[in-house]
Amino acid sequence: MSAAAAAAGTYTPAAEAGGKRREKREELRRHLAEDADWPRADGRSIHDCRPAFMQTGPTTAASGSAYAEFGKTKVIVSVFGPRESKKAMLYSDTGRLNCSVSYTTFATGIRGQGLENKEYSGMLHKALEGAVMLHTFPKTTVDVFALVLESGGSDLPIIISCASLALADAGIMMYDLVTSVSVSCLGKNVIIDPTSDEEAWQDGGLMVSYMPTRREITQLTLTGEWSDGKITNAVELCMDACSKLCEILRERLKDTAVLEENE
Amino acid sequence: MAATAMEHDGGGGAEVVTPGELLGASSSLAAGRGAYADGHSVRASVTGRRRILPPTPGSSDQQRSTVEVVGHKAHGAVPQPGSVVIARVTKVMARMASADIMCVDSKAVKEKFTGMIRQQDVRATEIDKVDMYQSYRPGDIVRALVLSLGDARAYYLSTAKNELGVVSAQSIAGGTLVPTSWTEMQCELTGQIEQRKVAKVE
Repeated sequence: MSAAAAAAGTYTPAAEAGGKRREKREELRRHLAEDADWPRADGRSIHDCRPAFMQTGPTTAASGSAYAEFGKTKVIVSVFGPRESKKAMLYSDTGRLNCSVSYTTFATGIRGQGLENKEYSGMLHKALEGAVMLHTFPKTTVDVFALVLESGGSDLPIIISCASLALADAGIMMYDLVTSVSVSCLGKNVIIDPTSDEEAWQDGGLMVSYMPTRREITQLTLTGEWSDGKITNAVELCMDACSKLCEILRERLKDTAVLEENE
Repeated sequence: MAATAMEHDGGGGAEVVTPGELLGASSSLAAGRGAYADGHSVRASVTGRRRILPPTPGSSDQQRSTVEVVGHKAHGAVPQPGSVVIARVTKVMARMASADIMCVDSKAVKEKFTGMIRQQDVRATEIDKVDMYQSYRPGDIVRALVLSLGDARAYYLSTAKNELGVVSAQSIAGGTLVPTSWTEMQCELTGQIEQRKVAKVE
C-alpha cells in the first residue's frame, strides 16, 4: 500500500516554503491588531504628514498653474480661463468650471494608458465648485487640468489643494482656498496622509476638503469600515491638517505676489 | 517664513492678502473690487494688496469706506455688457456680421471671444435699410460696444454711435483705407472709394 503511494508521487510542500513572506505578513497583521503606534515605512508617526512642497507658475502658457510634491506624489495643475467654451453648450448665466484629472503613463508602478480619470475629475469638480465665484465670469468657462506625474498615495487630496492654489494664481475670484487631507483606517489606528502602500492595506478611508477661514467643508468622502467614534476624531484631525496646509498655500501666494511686484 | 514676508513688504505698507482672508468688519467697510461681504465680515476674493478708498461723495453710504484688493494677476478680461471692445470682422452675412473680440476695454484677451453685430445694431438711423456689405468687410477692425451676453455662441455687439465702427481696414487692392466721411473710406494706393460704417476717432 505504502509502496504504491510512494510510487504515485506526493506533492506535499515543505513546511519552510514561503516562510519569509508569510513572516512579514504576520508581522504586519500583528501591528495592525495590537500596536498602538508603530513606525510607518517612511519613519513617520501615525499623525505626521509628509513635508509639502508647492510652487506656483510652472506652466507659463496657462492663466495660472501650480506644482505640488508631497513625498513621492507629484502633481501639476494648469488653469485656463475664463475663456469661451469650445463645445457650444447651452447658455448659462453663471460661469462653468470644467475639471479634468489624468495620470501620466509612468505615474504608477505599472505602465498605464494616460486616459482621463473620470471619477477623480468629478470629485475635483465637487470639491472646488463651492469655493469659486461662478457668477463673476458669466457665459465663460474656467478649465482646470490636473496631471499626476507620480502617484505616491493620497493623490486626490493633493490634486485638490494644488488646483486651489492654481485657481488663486490665475486670479479667479474665490470665497476661500480649499485644502484637502485624507486619512486611512488600519486596524485600530487612524493614520494621516497615507502612502499608496498604506492606502492599499486600509480598512477604510476618509477624505475631507475644507475651506479653513470660512470653516466650511466642501466635500467629505468616506469609504470602507469605520466606527462612529473614529469618524469624528478623523474628521477633526483632517480639518486641523487642512488649516495648516492652507497657511502654506497662503505663504506661497504672498511670496509670488511680492516677487511679481518687484519685477 | 512670516518674518521674511514682512521684510519684502516694503511697498506702500499695504499688506498682501489671499482669498478668504479677513479684511475687516462689514459695519465699518464696504466691499469693493476683489472683496466680498460675508455676514459680519468683509473678505478678500483674489490675491493682491489691500487698499482702502474713502467713501464716494455721491453715494448714500457715508460712514463706510470701501476696501478693495488690487491684484497683479486679476483674471484676463471678459466682455461685460457696456464695455467697449475691439474686434476683427470674420464673416459678413445678409443680416449680421460675426467678429472675433480681441481687446476688452483696452486690455487684450488671451483667447478670442465670438461676437455678433446684427443689422439693427450697425447704426442709429434708418436701421431697416442697412446693407451689411456696405458697412463691414471680413478683416476690418471695428470698435464696438457689448450690448448683452447674447446667446450660447456669441456676444451681441453694437456700433450705433459716432465713435463706434470701422477703425482700420484694408482695401481690395491691399492698401490702407483712410476715412473720408462717416460712410466712406478711400484707398491710399489706388484712390478707390469703399463703403464702410466708419468710427469718428477723436
